[in-house]
Parts: sequence; structure tokens; C-alpha cells
Amino acid sequence: MTSLSSALVLAAPVLTPPQVGYGTLFALVIFIVASMYIGVLANKAMSSGAFMKGFFLGNRGLGAWALALTATVQSGGTFMGFPSLVYTHGWIVALWICGYMVVPITGFGILGKRMAQLSRKTGALTVPDLFRARFNSPALGLTASLFIMFYMSFMMVAQFKSGALVMKIAWPASGSLALSEDATQYKLTTDKLAGLELPAEVRDKVAAFADQDFANEVEFKAALKEKLADGEFTAHQSKIVAAASPIDWLFYLGLGIFTLTVVGYTMLGGFLAAVWTDLFQSVMMLVGVVFLLILAVTAVGGMETATVEAVSKTGPGFVFGPGFDPTNDGREYLPLGLAVSFFWVWVYAGVGSPAGMVRIMAGKSTEVIRKSIFLLSGYNYLIYLPLVVICICGRALIPDLPPGKTDEIIPRLAMLTTAKLPMGSFLAGLILAAPFGAVMATVSSYLVVIASGLVRDVYQRFINPQAGSHDLRRLSYMAMIGVGAIAVLANIKPVAYLQAIVVFSGTGAAATFCMPALMIAFWRRTTVAGTLSSMFGGAGTMLVLYVLGFSGYGADRRIGSVTTFRPYFLLDLDPMLWGLLVSFLAGVIVSLLTTPPDAALVSKLFDAEESGSTPATKPA
Amino acid sequence: MSQPTEDPVLRSARREAVVVFLIWLAALLYTVPYCYLNGYNRSVESLKFVWGFPDWVFWGIFAPWTVCVIVSLYFGHQFMKDEDLGEELPEQEDELGLGGG
Repeated sequence: MTSLSSALVLAAPVLTPPQVGYGTLFALVIFIVASMYIGVLANKAMSSGAFMKGFFLGNRGLGAWALALTATVQSGGTFMGFPSLVYTHGWIVALWICGYMVVPITGFGILGKRMAQLSRKTGALTVPDLFRARFNSPALGLTASLFIMFYMSFMMVAQFKSGALVMKIAWPASGSLALSEDATQYKLTTDKLAGLELPAEVRDKVAAFADQDFANEVEFKAALKEKLADGEFTAHQSKIVAAASPIDWLFYLGLGIFTLTVVGYTMLGGFLAAVWTDLFQSVMMLVGVVFLLILAVTAVGGMETATVEAVSKTGPGFVFGPGFDPTNDGREYLPLGLAVSFFWVWVYAGVGSPAGMVRIMAGKSTEVIRKSIFLLSGYNYLIYLPLVVICICGRALIPDLPPGKTDEIIPRLAMLTTAKLPMGSFLAGLILAAPFGAVMATVSSYLVVIASGLVRDVYQRFINPQAGSHDLRRLSYMAMIGVGAIAVLANIKPVAYLQAIVVFSGTGAAATFCMPALMIAFWRRTTVAGTLSSMFGGAGTMLVLYVLGFSGYGADRRIGSVTTFRPYFLLDLDPMLWGLLVSFLAGVIVSLLTTPPDAALVSKLFDAEESGSTPATKPA
Repeated sequence: MSQPTEDPVLRSARREAVVVFLIWLAALLYTVPYCYLNGYNRSVESLKFVWGFPDWVFWGIFAPWTVCVIVSLYFGHQFMKDEDLGEELPEQEDELGLGGG
């Protein structure tokens, strides 16, 4: 059988959506049990020594593998939104992501050694601790902590939704494969329509499709838009869509199980549990990607065939920049400005990520930091380009996923390519469980950072500095339960714009913290006012550009992904670049205009100690 | 009174940070212009493949990514210096908070 015909044979069954088998649920259960077990192990490992340093910093004992595979910006979104982008826009997404080629060396090489040293010199357990200690300024520490909690809260709520969605697809015969936000059945019943307050003419138009089933919100809205005039649609669509939304029991069940699992094991093992589960899922992810790469390329008959097939199903845009435009309305997915931007975005979102910084602070030694550089470099090399190739093969094998369903590409491909293998369902399950692990690990690490912000940076610093270990432990647990409960409540009506929120939080945190972190690490002359200006300058710029874009200021430039939660792309550049620029200028100018910091304090952090230890020699 | 000497860890960290910044800049200045000049708005007829990749992806992304992996290996293995990160504050002080000065 030729490769092309085998591809067609494989592609045939996808006309009817494949059902998730018990293998997927089994794989998720393994993940959950393994994570709880890791939590117990972490609990034992951190029990020696002080609670705060053990719970929030793993007693500074991270080794190279743990640091390498967990300290950068990979999250659930990396393995869910990204494949959908490749499937939709084609090879250009390789350029979009390729900044990751230098993420390991920049993430650890720019700030790693200095952050690790400063955190030891000051005894800092958290990033705000470090900012506070650099100038002996409680106000700066508190500001940093509030910013971190602000960005992380956004991210947390979005990630809880991802976790619930992954749980939902794992249920056998749930009928839902997608990780999409809108993958569920929509129906406006006659009873619900009768209960809506609508003008008579609108009611009559909508009644035409009462009691009719729609696969998802996108299809329902399209039908609604077709029936209503523009003004009517704008005025009434939100309440009509809300009335047609089903009560999604599987989503809520998934949300419950996800929350109990992730909050449970994080409470058990704190920072170490978060890091170790992250390491576990990273290894699983690598195994899944390599395995799926071999299966997908074999199924389609080679990479070249995959591209040729995919181009024949789409168009030339699939193999060239600025990317394939499925809507055919002139949108450029990656014009030059955004291509340049994303080479900055991935790198500086890694350098300026507070969750990444705290893991570097937890590194055991400089040897661990430098080893992490090449370990992560190899890992990224085996993950990102192979994922691009997998999704190009996906477009050739499963060419017609509609918009709103493109998130299904990895689950569908996993089921398709393992269907004929022994234990195929379980193998597919292992591949599908990987994104669940990624989301769990991300949420777990954010839980630790937010709880440390509340307990260490607010309670212990400002409310009760004399608090004992018992109190701090109890408060840490309460903080995690509280944050979990808030995230669940926020998802009773699930948030929209999931992917856009993740991007906003990551780039916002980078624009806020990257320059201040560089200044406190390397510049003696920087001051409290300068650092604060740098933080507010970066954050303010991001906020202004997002508010302008979201409120519809300026014409839609028709670049980037299609989303209503879009920023204003000044000169076609991502807002993070403007945020970094303003943060840099504000930090430097205000520092130079204000009184220099205390010379003794600066000397303590920048000069050699008189009877200091000598540099260690490099091991042979 | 003698001037205090700069912390050797700071000195090596700064030197390494500058080198890393230059590596990032070199990767940016090669990758994006190469892909823009060779991978945008071409005709399908002109498309060639290298090892299964479209030619511009191979030379503009795969090749520099491979170089970056090798450079990272050299940087982490040979260039970056191991240093003593210093003693940490005593546990009790750490538990009760710190002044920084």
C-alpha cells in the first residue's frame, strides 16, 4: 500500500468523530494517583528544616533536571493552543515559536546566577522578598507581591478551566473531543425562549430555530447572526446565547476533580510537589510527542508528502508567511512586526517570569543552573519542531476540522494513529493525558506562588511578623484552599478568551518584572523610586494597549489570532515590547533623578565580602 | 581606605549575561530576516524541500535551532563558571524575616 493511500484509509474514520475510550480515563487516573503520591513524597522530603523554606522553596535543593524542565514558560497552553495554531496557519507557526531556540540559555544565563546569589545573600524566599531586601523597602516588596498575585490570578482562573475541559474529554462517550472553549451542545428550548425579555420581532426570528441542536457556541451564534439584523444581534445575543447554554455537568465534574487533585497534592508537598509533578509531566510530554511524531509521519508517508497534501487541502499560505488565512478576509497571521515581537516575547516572558525566578532561586548551585541550560535546550529541540511537524501531518490526514474544533487535532491524531496498534486506546490515553499533566503542573506552581505572596509577603511581613511555623503552615493551607475555591467560583460561568488571557498574563508579568529584575541584579545606582517606576511603566503600558484594543480603538489591523480580546498593536508590535521599552526608560530616568540608595546596603550585595568564600573550582 | 572589590560572582554573571544577550541578538538578526526574505509570499512552484522541511524552514529555523543547541551545550558545559553562591542567612533569621541591611 502506498503511503498516500494508507493515509486516506486512516483518514476515512474521522468523518464521524472518534469516541474516547476507557484508555484515556485510565491514563488520567494514573496521572492523578501519581501526582498524589508525588505530593506525599514531597511532604516527606521537605519536612526537615523550617516550614517556610521547605514549603515555598524546597529547601533550595532543586537539581538540574528539575530546574531545567520546570522553570520556564511552558504551560497547558503550550500544548493545547499551539497545535491548533499550526493546524490553522501552517508552517509559519514554526517562526512564531522559534524564539524558544534561545529560551534555555536566556532563561538561565541572563539572571540565573545573580538571582540565585542575591536570594542567598538576603535570605529571600520569594521574588517580592528579593525586591524588598535589595533596598530594605517593604513598600516595594508589597507592590511586587500585589503585581504577581494580579497576573497569577488571571492565569489561575484560565488554567482551571483548561483542567476541567481536559477532564471532560476523558470521559468515555462524552461526545466531546475538543479542548475548545465552545465544544458543547447548544439548544434554545421553547420554554427558555418564552422566559426571555425580547422585542416581539426578535422573538419571532429566534423562534425559527427553537429546540434545534447546535454542536457548539460558534455554530449557534452563526445561526443567530444570520437571522437577526446587526443591531438586534449586538443588543440581544448575550442573553439568548446564555439561555441556550447547556448545564455542562461533565465540565463541572471535571472542575471538581481537577481542583481537589491539584490543591490536594500541592497542600501536601508545597513547592517540591509542584516541581516534581511538573518534571513528571514534562517527561511524559516528551515521550508522547516523540511517539506521536513517529506515528504521524509514518501514517502520512513522510514530511514532504505531509506538506504537499496539506497545501493541496488549504493553499500556498500554509507553507509560506504570513500564514494561511482560513477566513480568507485578508488577515495576516504573522507579519514581520509580530515575527520580530515573538522572538522577544518567549525569551523575555521566560526571563521576567516570577514563577521561573523563584525556581532559579531554589536551584542547588551554579552547576545545577548551567546544566539546566543544555538539558532544557535539548528538551525544547525535541518538543517544539516535532509538534509543528505532527500538526502539519495532522492537516494532511484530517484536513477539514472546522474553526472552533481545531484544538481537537492532537486527540484526534492520537486516536487515529494508534487505532490499529495493540493497546491503542491506552497509548492514545497516555498522549492525551499529557496536556492534563501540563495544566496540573502549571496550576500547582501558581498556587504555591500566590500562597507564598499572601502568607510570606503580606501576612508575615505586615500583619504578624512573629507568626510561628504552626500558624504559617495553617495559613498556607487556608490560602491554597481559598485560591482554589475562588478559581472554581470564577469558573461557574467559565471565562472566555482563555488563550488570550494566558498570553496577557504571561507577557504582562514579563513587562512588569523583567527590567526591574535586571536593574536590581546588575545596577548599583537603581533606586526604590526607579524600580517602582519601571514596574508601573511596564504594567501601565500593557494595560493601556490592551484596553485600547479591547474597547475597539483604531481599526482592527487584521494581524495575529482572531480574538475579541486583542490588544492595540502599535506599529504592528506586540504590547510587551512597548511595555519593556517604557519600563526600561522609566526605571533608568527616575533612578538617575532620585537619591542614590544606601551605599552600605549596595556594597553588601555588590562587593566581595572581606572574609568571603573563594570561588569554587569547576569540577573536572 | 581601600576601595572594595566587586563581587566576583557579579562580575562573571554580568559577563555571561552580556554574552547570552549577544547570542539572542544574533539568533534574532539571522532567523527573522532570513525567514522573511525567503519564506514570505512565494509561489508554491518555487518550493523546495530539505530533509522534508520546506527550504526556508530548514535554513531559517531548523539549522539555527540546531546551532543554538550546540552553543547552549558549549555555554553550559564550558563557558559558564561555577561559583560559590555564598552562605545563606541563618534559619532563625530567615524564618522571622529579613532586613536586608
